[in-house]
Amino acid sequence: MTIADAVPDAGAAPGTPRAGGETGPGTRRRGPGRALVLDRWRAWTGSSRLGRVLRPTLWGLVALFILAPCACFLVISVSPRLFDQGPQWFTLSYLRTIFTGATAVSVVNSLWVSGGAAAIGLAIGLPVAWLAGRTTLPGRRVVGLGMWLVLIVPSWLPAVGWERLVVKDGVLDRVGLGSVALQHAVMGPFGVVLLLGIRCVPFTYLTVTASLAGLGQELEDAARVHGASRMAALRLVLPILAPAIWSALAIGFAETVSDFGVADTLAYQSHFPLATYQLYQAIGNFPPSFPGAAAIGVILVASVAVPLVLQARALRGRAYAVLSGRTRQAVRRQLSPLGTAVAAVGVGGFFLVAIGAPTVGAVTGSLLADLGASARITGANYAAFLHQAGASGPFVRSLAYGAVTASVTVVGGFLAARMLSRQRTRATHLLDFLLLAAVALPGVVFAAGYIFAYNLPFFSTLGINLYQTTTLLVIGYTASSLPTNARVLVGPVSQVQPSLHDAARAHGAGALRAFGRGVLPAISRPLLMAWLYTFCGIFLELPISQLLYSPGSPPLSVSIQNNLSTYHYGLGMAQSVIAVCIALLVVSIALLAYRLLTPAGWRRIGATIRG
Amino acid sequence: MALSSPPAGAAAKKVPLVVYSAQGYDTAMVKAFQKATGIPTKLDTNSTGPLLTQIEASKNNPHWGLLWVDGATAFASLDQQGLLVKGFEPNVKWDALGKANLPKDKSFVPTGVTLMAAVVYNKSVVTSPPTSWQQLLQPQWKGAVGMNTPSQSGPTYPFIAGLMNALGGVTKGKQYFTSLKSNGLVINPTNGPTLQALTSGQIKLALVQSSAGIGAEHTDPTLTVKYLDPVTSLSSNIGIDAKATKTEIAEAKRFAEFVLSKKGQAVMKTGDPHGDSLYYPVVEGVQPRPTLPSLSSTKVQHIDPYTWGARESTVNTWFENTIAK
Repeated sequence: MTIADAVPDAGAAPGTPRAGGETGPGTRRRGPGRALVLDRWRAWTGSSRLGRVLRPTLWGLVALFILAPCACFLVISVSPRLFDQGPQWFTLSYLRTIFTGATAVSVVNSLWVSGGAAAIGLAIGLPVAWLAGRTTLPGRRVVGLGMWLVLIVPSWLPAVGWERLVVKDGVLDRVGLGSVALQHAVMGPFGVVLLLGIRCVPFTYLTVTASLAGLGQELEDAARVHGASRMAALRLVLPILAPAIWSALAIGFAETVSDFGVADTLAYQSHFPLATYQLYQAIGNFPPSFPGAAAIGVILVASVAVPLVLQARALRGRAYAVLSGRTRQAVRRQLSPLGTAVAAVGVGGFFLVAIGAPTVGAVTGSLLADLGASARITGANYAAFLHQAGASGPFVRSLAYGAVTASVTVVGGFLAARMLSRQRTRATHLLDFLLLAAVALPGVVFAAGYIFAYNLPFFSTLGINLYQTTTLLVIGYTASSLPTNARVLVGPVSQVQPSLHDAARAHGAGALRAFGRGVLPAISRPLLMAWLYTFCGIFLELPISQLLYSPGSPPLSVSIQNNLSTYHYGLGMAQSVIAVCIALLVVSIALLAYRLLTPAGWRRIGATIRG
Repeated sequence: MALSSPPAGAAAKKVPLVVYSAQGYDTAMVKAFQKATGIPTKLDTNSTGPLLTQIEASKNNPHWGLLWVDGATAFASLDQQGLLVKGFEPNVKWDALGKANLPKDKSFVPTGVTLMAAVVYNKSVVTSPPTSWQQLLQPQWKGAVGMNTPSQSGPTYPFIAGLMNALGGVTKGKQYFTSLKSNGLVINPTNGPTLQALTSGQIKLALVQSSAGIGAEHTDPTLTVKYLDPVTSLSSNIGIDAKATKTEIAEAKRFAEFVLSKKGQAVMKTGDPHGDSLYYPVVEGVQPRPTLPSLSSTKVQHIDPYTWGARESTVNTWFENTIAK
């Protein structure tokens, strides 16, 4: 049953234009009434017919490509026999193991580390986003690019860089700056939380920046006119960013709890086990214990309920639609000389730690001769890469996979974000949980789940052989990217008022044209960010690529991993550096193209002017 | 062996042969095989771990034709699950290493041998290298020995199993590794990081696969390789999917025969000259690359892959939770 079916007497007929004033910011009801829900739904979809198609389609795709594979994997924890992974049809023995021994320790570690990392991400990301977006911070134009660099770099690279810096006879020791205390600090829980926290900063930065873009100047002006100090005005404005802040916290938590790059490097070397390492170990052992890995997966999925419950409690009963046709450009604050110095040192320090360490890792790995025995710089690894036959194939493939996946994911992510931000029903709460739970599952779970779900003999008898085809690989990429994408978009999408769409309809535009002229300009920047985030993630994605790629067509990450894990460590590091540079180049080109090609009005939304 | 002239009518029945491989020379080999036989071949080149994960996860409906990775224990386990074709032996003259590594039921085919573990060290730093495994427990080597973890490095379990076998069993082996840990054993994930720990001076002795150690000599000429008695043989093997079609099984057999032919061995020896090509051949008349040390004065032991394969999961878990922790 659709919303229109449920509320037959509410609102106008499908497609009927409404006057913008009826739904404008000054007159709109804030209550959760069903008529309002219908009104909003229609405003967004343009017609109830479209809504009737879109919602079940989205649910169907989520069920088919996210729920089914994950469920197929997780169910093995209680019924290994179902997929020929053990003799038992039903057992709780594997679930019991997560409460005992090394697994229990690693699960507890993962939970508090993820909470801490998300908090660090917010503590750093929020002020940086504010400084870059709303003040005269020097170098603010490159802050966004720097955040993309932090996001693009695979998490194991900074971990390796930090290790290289602080280990005995490491880089700091060689220049006389090494200390045992520093080594113990970095090579332990503190270093792991800090590193993962730094990885969370871009999530906060991107979601908050996107929401800041939709937050005009009028709210601050209103507060100031009524005598509020700058801090008081800030206290007024910050709660309006709550959806973005909670989204950032939730994504940070889920991304951290599923991270393997740090778990496998810095955390492992520091004898600080994390749950993802235990999960991979269960699969990597031979014969692999899929039921044991699935049991850990179950606890990771359950863990995302914590940020979601907190988020739901914080946002309950509030509305955050502030972006309308009346939104005015914000004024960029002039920082005092002291403020400028403090802000510049703080932001610069962050990038020094976040980008400096991976640079050390990359330099020691790819530019030093003789495996780093001496400090002699050489381009031999890069030369070897350039002379390697077929070296460009994996790059081209992954560029194409990234572009296709990002394009599909942004559409799906936008639709999901719209549902999450406009309707708070049981169904959307469930969707919210499922999407975030999918973020919390490591990629290998997705990949193995895809093998279990889509390689059943039943499919082969029907002539459907999807396993080890590019089609299933791209579907897997899309399904694994959609949850994060939707979460990133929830903040900005929740700010867009239906009046934008209504105004276009009132002026005679059709549903699609109204969306293109009324809504798209307001969310074009967040959509671009979401596209780039997905593209970069897929460009270097490893676990799904390893298990699902079509034989004969290895993606870039598989090619890099094959070099890193065998004898060609330097070559693999050189490949990684080139890949990161290419990803950064794509980001730069896309941002430049947005600046040059989009109408001036699109760019004005969310832009600032000097105060 | 007339590898380039398939049986009459075979050309019409050719199906793509799917090769799962973790060998550095696999791309070159697949190309050479296709050129020689005309059989279309699809290569899934990956680390050993993901390949075995794929096989185990898809065993209800497998899509691979042959598996080509290092280590016999995994093949023994696949054989015990009924996933491999039995009773196939290419028509070649095995040398001593080949004979020692050929399983009784002929469920997989050895294609070369590397050794676990070679002791790699810097000649200018270590002037008196150890001469036995027991010497690694002496205070002289406290905090100076590094090795890989078996949960991430495929060749490391055969090393642990081999040492346990040489010391008299699992219990004595566990005591040895516990003592080694007490003496400051440094654990890294794989060969690359262990060798980097060696060259950066963090450790003085790296226990890695012989091919990795000899390859590192090329990158850093100050490094050298030494074998301690006994050293465990680690064969690279080809196993054929028992559930593949008859045509694909026949093609997989031809692939194994091609690999062991003179032409195939030439590809193996040149396809990854500073990596997997640094192996000891298993067929008569083929010489190893000149940089490989002679085995004439080295005691090479062969462990029973069926006995030690069954212990792999429990030993690895013990090592991970006790030694690597």
